Amino acid sequence: MTRAATPKIGAYAGLAGVGLLAALVLGRAELAVLAAPFALVLFFGLALAEPPDVRVALEIDRERQVEGENVNASLEVRTQLPVPRLELLLSLPDGLESDAPNPVLVALDLDERRELEVPLRCVHWGAYLVGRVSVRAPDSFGLLAYERSYDLRRPLKVYPRGEALDKLLRPLQTLSFSGSQTTGTRGEGIEFADLRPFVPGDRIRRINWRATARRGEPWVNETHPERNTDVVIFLDTFAEARSGAGSTLDLAVQAAGSLAAHYIRAKDRVGLVAFGGVLNWLTVSSGVTQLYRVLDSLLDAEIFLSYAWKDIEILPRRTLPPHALVVALSPLLDERSVRALLDLRARGFDLAVVEISPVPFVEPGPDELDRLAYRLWLMKRDALRASYLQVGVPVVEWRQGDPLQAALEEVRTFRRHARVTRA
Amino acid sequence: MTATALRASPGVDRAELIAVGAPVPVVLLAGLALRWSGALTGAIVLLGAQQAVRLAIGDDVLDEWAPLAAAALLLTAELAWWSIEPRIPAWTQPRLALRRLTVVLLMCLLGAGVGAAMLVAAGSSLSGGVPLELAGILAATGAVALVAYVARRSP
Repeated sequence: MTRAATPKIGAYAGLAGVGLLAALVLGRAELAVLAAPFALVLFFGLALAEPPDVRVALEIDRERQVEGENVNASLEVRTQLPVPRLELLLSLPDGLESDAPNPVLVALDLDERRELEVPLRCVHWGAYLVGRVSVRAPDSFGLLAYERSYDLRRPLKVYPRGEALDKLLRPLQTLSFSGSQTTGTRGEGIEFADLRPFVPGDRIRRINWRATARRGEPWVNETHPERNTDVVIFLDTFAEARSGAGSTLDLAVQAAGSLAAHYIRAKDRVGLVAFGGVLNWLTVSSGVTQLYRVLDSLLDAEIFLSYAWKDIEILPRRTLPPHALVVALSPLLDERSVRALLDLRARGFDLAVVEISPVPFVEPGPDELDRLAYRLWLMKRDALRASYLQVGVPVVEWRQGDPLQAALEEVRTFRRHARVTRA
Repeated sequence: MTATALRASPGVDRAELIAVGAPVPVVLLAGLALRWSGALTGAIVLLGAQQAVRLAIGDDVLDEWAPLAAAALLLTAELAWWSIEPRIPAWTQPRLALRRLTVVLLMCLLGAGVGAAMLVAAGSSLSGGVPLELAGILAATGAVALVAYVARRSP
């Protein structure tokens, strides 16, 4: 433990010294009497000061939590010598808050062990290391303070809060593995498709007895098979619009987490491409493990300023499997991501763009010129959206507070009616 | 401060004492409001200076109330420094506050006791001379050495 003198020790030493000196100069014993208590406090304070033997341990009840929920941190303090005053500060990174008193003050008796609960509120998603504990023990007279920092850091992953989605976007083509998506083809499945006359080889349980009785010959049900799909979530991390605690990246990560969870629940294979200053990708796969991989990758997503030009060419081929649905989550602020998405469409990928609108994060300036610039910027964004629609890419604007399901429905509607025309 | 002015010896101008002590409440309040220990030191020094002025311009009789004034001065200083310490909710724990207050009061009492002993020693009819001067010098040197020793002790 490091020992530090408080301002009080200097003040008391000065007061005692001045008093004694004045007593000598003026030849009055009363002034020495006035200085004596201060000298006495100094003497006892320094003589009785002992570095406290404090041991601190930290436990966090879980390593993963969802944004907005609580995590309990338990600080165990143990000492062999009595400590009249012990201040404990659990340093919390931005994104974690505590309603409990922090720093907390305790008094420990001889060989006492105390457990302190510090409930942590996960305010913002992210990967954190929690557990830098600073201990400060002033002596009984407040003259010296013993300080020490304990590095007891534990990883804590706070995942973005997901949103309930009833219907997901479906790719135009499915894979050959079984899943939850009903295809347009005929085969073994559950969803009824049509009736046809019985042919040798058909299973008896497929016979539709009502139709057979009506027609006088055996008829069988035809069904649509259920297949899985590949979905690649394309996260634009080139630029973000930020205002206060929220940003377009926060919304994008939140949406990406929701989409990944729902697609994986539907037995689809999900991949992730974080396209920005730092490139990060996950090849498509399915299962709970993949979900956690995606979520962990999302926690690492950050805006990394870069002027280097990047296009789709730098992505490994297997990150974008053929027939995959690419759901892009982008504020459409950076030319590189805008071009990359158009490039994906040009390569024949089934692409849908959810535009994380930066408009709520931008305030028009006070004067007329600023407002004109703002209007021009909005018009430019409209033109950009139109250019996507022109090549058959649905672009929907999604704002903070709006349900993601509404944005997805808009894409579904577009895909239901839009057809690409080639001149 | 007021007590010092009221207890001024005959022939001492009370206005002078009040003039020395007048800035004390302002300086003390400033120190408490700004949590600045420098101002607190200044306020205590001013209170001490008021006593020094009273004694310097007063008669040569030993002031028997000096130990009490010393204890009051220490109590003022301790409470002032307590007030500017960082606010921690746990300070409201009565057990901790009571324990600390007890220590402070004990130190004040002890200070008053030591002061009284010093006053008795100063008022005794011992004749001066080289041995007594030597003893005083040795005692002062020893006190400084003791304080230096306890201050230098490694943690």
